[in-house]
Amino acid sequence: MARPKNKRNQISNQSQKQQAKKKLNPFEVHINKEKLKVLGKKSKSDRGLPGVSREKALRKRKSTLQQEFKLQHKSNTFSDKRIGERNTNMTDEDRFIARYAKLKAKRHKKSIFNLADEEVLTHKGQTLSEIEKFENVMSDDGDSLDGDTSGRLDADFVAEAHFGGGILKKTGIEGAKSHKDLIEQLITESKKRKAEKQKLKEETLELTEKLDSEWKDLLPLVNKSKSKNVVPENEKADDYDKVMRQLKFEARGTPSDRLKTEDEIAREAKEKLETLEKERLERMHGVISKINESRKHVSADGLDVNFVYDSETEVTLSYNQEGISNVELEAEINGKTIVPRESGDSKSDNSENNESSSESGNDENPEECEEESDNEDKLSDLKGEDSISESESELEYVGYEDKIREDLLKRKAIMENAREELPYSYNFPSNYEELHSLLLPQPSEHQFIILERLIKCHHPSLGEKNKENLDLLFAYLLQYINDISQAKDIQDINKCFRVFTNITPHLYDLAQMSPFNAHTLMIGVIEEKQKDYRKNKQTYPGNDIVLFLKLVSCIFPTSDFRHVVVTPAITFMDQMLNKCRVRTRRDIAYGLFLTTLALEYTSLTKRFLPSAINFLVGILHMAIPKTGVKLIKISPPFKISCNKLVLCNNHEESTMELAMSVGYLLEGEINDEFRIRAIHLCLSLLEEFAVNFMDLQSSYEIFIAVLKYLELVPMGNYPKKVKQKWTLLMEEIITMKNNRRMEYLMLAPKKPKALRLYEPNIEKVYDTKRRKIQSREKTERDKLLHKLKRERKGALREIRRDREFLSGIKINQKIQSDMERQAKVNKLLSEASLQQSELNAMDRKKNRKKTITSQIRGNVRFCIVEYLALALSDVLLLFVVDLQATLDRDERQSSQHGLVKVRLDRIEEELAEHVRDGRHQQCPAEHSGGGERIC
Amino acid sequence: MSQHDKPVKISKILRNKAEEFLSNPNLSNNLLDIIKHFETGADTSACLLTLEFIFTNLLKNGEMHIEVIPLKPIEPTIEYQYRQWLRNLYEETWSKVLTTFENSSIKIQMQALSSSMNILAYEGRYPLEHKGSLECYVPLNRLKLILMRILSNKHHNPHLVAKFEEYLIYDDILFYVWKVLPSLTAKSNPNDIYIMNYLLLLEKLQVKRNEESRMLCSSGGMNMHFNFDETALKRYLNKIWNCIILWEHTVATHKQLLIVLLEKVLPYLDKPLLLTDFLMDSLDVGGPVSLLALQGIFTMIQVYNLDYPNIFAKLYSMFEPEIFHTKFKPRLFYLADLFLSSTHLPENLVAAFAKRLARLALVAPSEDIIIICMFIGNLILRHPGLKCLLNHSVGGTTTNDPYIMEERDPLKSNAINSSLWEIQTLQNHALPSVATAATFINNPLPSIEWDISKVLENTGDNIFDKELKKNSKLVALAFDKPNRFSLSKGEKLFNYWNFC
Repeated sequence: MARPKNKRNQISNQSQKQQAKKKLNPFEVHINKEKLKVLGKKSKSDRGLPGVSREKALRKRKSTLQQEFKLQHKSNTFSDKRIGERNTNMTDEDRFIARYAKLKAKRHKKSIFNLADEEVLTHKGQTLSEIEKFENVMSDDGDSLDGDTSGRLDADFVAEAHFGGGILKKTGIEGAKSHKDLIEQLITESKKRKAEKQKLKEETLELTEKLDSEWKDLLPLVNKSKSKNVVPENEKADDYDKVMRQLKFEARGTPSDRLKTEDEIAREAKEKLETLEKERLERMHGVISKINESRKHVSADGLDVNFVYDSETEVTLSYNQEGISNVELEAEINGKTIVPRESGDSKSDNSENNESSSESGNDENPEECEEESDNEDKLSDLKGEDSISESESELEYVGYEDKIREDLLKRKAIMENAREELPYSYNFPSNYEELHSLLLPQPSEHQFIILERLIKCHHPSLGEKNKENLDLLFAYLLQYINDISQAKDIQDINKCFRVFTNITPHLYDLAQMSPFNAHTLMIGVIEEKQKDYRKNKQTYPGNDIVLFLKLVSCIFPTSDFRHVVVTPAITFMDQMLNKCRVRTRRDIAYGLFLTTLALEYTSLTKRFLPSAINFLVGILHMAIPKTGVKLIKISPPFKISCNKLVLCNNHEESTMELAMSVGYLLEGEINDEFRIRAIHLCLSLLEEFAVNFMDLQSSYEIFIAVLKYLELVPMGNYPKKVKQKWTLLMEEIITMKNNRRMEYLMLAPKKPKALRLYEPNIEKVYDTKRRKIQSREKTERDKLLHKLKRERKGALREIRRDREFLSGIKINQKIQSDMERQAKVNKLLSEASLQQSELNAMDRKKNRKKTITSQIRGNVRFCIVEYLALALSDVLLLFVVDLQATLDRDERQSSQHGLVKVRLDRIEEELAEHVRDGRHQQCPAEHSGGGERIC
Repeated sequence: MSQHDKPVKISKILRNKAEEFLSNPNLSNNLLDIIKHFETGADTSACLLTLEFIFTNLLKNGEMHIEVIPLKPIEPTIEYQYRQWLRNLYEETWSKVLTTFENSSIKIQMQALSSSMNILAYEGRYPLEHKGSLECYVPLNRLKLILMRILSNKHHNPHLVAKFEEYLIYDDILFYVWKVLPSLTAKSNPNDIYIMNYLLLLEKLQVKRNEESRMLCSSGGMNMHFNFDETALKRYLNKIWNCIILWEHTVATHKQLLIVLLEKVLPYLDKPLLLTDFLMDSLDVGGPVSLLALQGIFTMIQVYNLDYPNIFAKLYSMFEPEIFHTKFKPRLFYLADLFLSSTHLPENLVAAFAKRLARLALVAPSEDIIIICMFIGNLILRHPGLKCLLNHSVGGTTTNDPYIMEERDPLKSNAINSSLWEIQTLQNHALPSVATAATFINNPLPSIEWDISKVLENTGDNIFDKELKKNSKLVALAFDKPNRFSLSKGEKLFNYWNFC
């Protein structure tokens, strides 16, 4: 009987504990009084549990800080690492089980490197591999069929038991049934149901298995009949079907865009050019936009067509002469009957040219013919480009067009010859020497064609390695230019330049094919040349450099604000113009060439290169005859007393060609012809520069020196054309001076701060707190600062409490030890008093009170010493001193220290007696003196 | 036998001979042979080395040492005769070595110098006769002879001076050179080759003790206490200077003199203010000389409290286009920076400088434009009043720049009423680095000055290298195909040059 009771007690204890945890002791709750009550306001701080939280904190400290304190100054600690030893929730048995499990696990631990015996994964006691065989697939249909009702109470029961009309019904029909009976009935019923269900399931299983086995027997029969049916059908497929299927699976032509009309094509080309131009302008102004780097790929046809485009220009030139508008593309193509080759290319869209195409049929490379179909697109694409560039060039070069035209036509004929003479395909040169020997003996036009065919034969689209090969070809060609430019006599240098003109378009094409390669190679060349030049900065380097610089301007856009290749190139030019000494004819020609290049580089952007102007000024200075006395200043690299370009003989009537010749780039004598040409070039360049710089604010200041020297150059002996140039230039500079409007520099005005609007500044307020309006960073910072402050406070509080706690522990320890000591003292004293009482008893017996008192006195002295050592209290001290005084007076001093323990009360009594006696006897002065001493 | 092998072989033969002679004094003919070979003038350098080897060894072994005991007649023993003979030979060789200083080959000259200095060092360490005092002994007469050769009035000897500088790290040599130098200084007008050599040497000479005390003419140098008397040095220096200043100088030597003055002498002179006249005269010479004089005057103003009112006009007149092509450009900019660093200068004056520099920038080489841009920026930073050059108070337009470039007096140049259009123009410079440097006028000025000293020594190469390093990934190509040679747009070369 007792056991269940105990159990109940235990349970009730537990539940009480839980309740205690849940329910708070109302006396522990501290309620803060609220002064203003706001409806619906929830405040965190209206009630707190200081006692509880303090308790919690204390407990925590006991487990941490106190432990640490105990272990203070101890180097070793014991830590129990047995499993579950520190876990109070575990019973002993649990611990043993856990340890045993661990032990077993340790024993069964496998090597992680042993991949072979992996743990077998299971599902419901079956290994996964077993399950995956799907041998025993039982459908769950059976379950789900009667699943609705299976484990549940049936409707009647529910209706009765739960919602069964309440008391009325109950009393009427099954009044006898109690609640307990009801439940029992319910249980039996559900068990019955389950058993039934199980049985049913087993039956179906059996049946299914039976069916399966029977079906397996039947299976071969079924299959046979099927296969017999199919095979003859297959054989029946006849030609018609074959053809049909063939047609069905044949690759269909993909739907393509309709062919564009020429107008559209032209428009597209124009748009493309416009976007390119726009990008160029952006780069010119230093805005580096991410341009579409994947340029349009130039195909082999493109190359082919490019040639067409070249010759087309020539034709259109002639048309311009005849005054026919060159906007009509149709007309141009129709008119091109002179050139059979082109018509061959354009036959696909021009039926009229079919007759002529037959002539040119043998010209074509087989490869080209295959890809002809795209030609029309490219062709007209370039035509569009042509018309644009023409319209510009028309304005600029009307003067020399007719001159060149004939020349070009002549050259054209030569080229046609060459075309027929030369073989159509070339093997790719395996090294530079091969290319060199291939090209060098040929005239320049032939070289052009050889290269054209070489590039066509090894177009990247025709082979994998071709791209690298063409990259190599680019490098070889650069080397070739470098080599041919080492010309020593005038024929060589002329040929060199001719070859260069013929190579340039190909280099352009190659660069278009792999821009990155072209960049790195060109940069490499320029860097190398500059490094060479550094060794001797005072003299103009070889002619190869001007060729490369010109090449740069052909391949790369010179108008960019900063360009990987062009900027170093122009820096190099600038350096040479600044530093190189001008002494010989070659120096002058070289410098003029560079200046022309500088003009070309800067003509689009109208940028300003001081060194170019300085050089031209120096050339002018050279043309001024210097009289002995008066020095005309000029800054280095020119010499103050240089008269080399002064024209002494009269050439007023001569009508010589005024263009400079590249032959002057060789060393040679300075003759009058050269002088006139140099000055003419100088003047024309200055004029162009003057036009370019017209918009610059200090354009006149730039040309002050020019004007000064211009006035000093005697123009009497120069041909009329040169004189004209001179007057033109003078006028231009003067107009430049008069027409310019210099705006005083002003810093861009600061944007005025917007005024505050008069509309109310509406802010959405989600909580009652007002926050300062400030930047996000600042709020973030403020938040962090606030947090920091709070944390610091919290930390300080914690530290303070820790200290309090520790000092509490310490004082407790102290009290404890004091108490122990007190107890010990008390014990001692009590023993002493016991002894004393015994002694007293003995004394009384013997009646020798006097001697005893003296003994006691001696003892008293000793006790005092002991008291002092114990330092019990000041009062006692005072007492002791009084006693001492008494004793001093007393002559009878005992030297016996045998008896140590004396009872305190007794001593006090004695002392009191003596004091009383002493006060009667001693003089008061002495007594007070004793008191002072103590103080 | 190829010619290449010959000198190697001969030097070997000579060496062998020398070694034989040193090991066996009886073979004194060897020595005579060597000297004779030396006199022929062939293989001078090898002979020099061998003779140096022989005599240093002889000195080291004390074989030429003759004990002189006062009041005792010298016994003409065989050994004494031998020693006497050796000494005569030694003196003879010494004078011959000195003659090689005038050899045409620089290499041999250098070899002669180093050989003679080596012999001198050994003689210092192992004197020919007993020297009583403990003080370091340097054979002064020999040093004097060497110096005389270096300070030749026939040949320029910058290489010898450079070589001789290597010996000046030894305290004793330095001190005795100073001591000897006054006696070598010409009193009347010497020719400019001598002056040049002299000044070159003077430039190398330190007026104070070397930081690390080393002795050439003392073995070990532990017991030797060498008294380096710096006041004596100053005395010698002043003595020399008084002579030098009286010489007649050409432009080159004048320049060199100023360099020496500024870098070495000025702080040690007794009465530097006496130089004022000299500096003033130099100021009017023009070019680098006046620049150097200007620096001298600046030092005088700064340190010795000289008053020279017109200095800014002088500085102003130095900014001419030619200055960019001289070596003294960095110095000029440095000086101008120094002069104009005072914030108490009139704005008018500083504006004139800024404006003049801006004008010069229109013709200057690219690297200098960058410097000028920074310089002007710094001027405006220092003198906020100059902001009107960038930010005109009223605005408006003008047809002519109010600034007068030709005006010599900066205060009258009317620069303060102008604007820095030149810098604006330079924003269109063809080189992007220059163009960006010129954009500083568009933005509010920074709070810290530009550091000019970093860029002062820059050349075009630096700009080139920087551009190469920029290495942008942007690959841009021209999009209009060149028609043979000419570009379709902006072709100029073809217009003016005939390629056939």
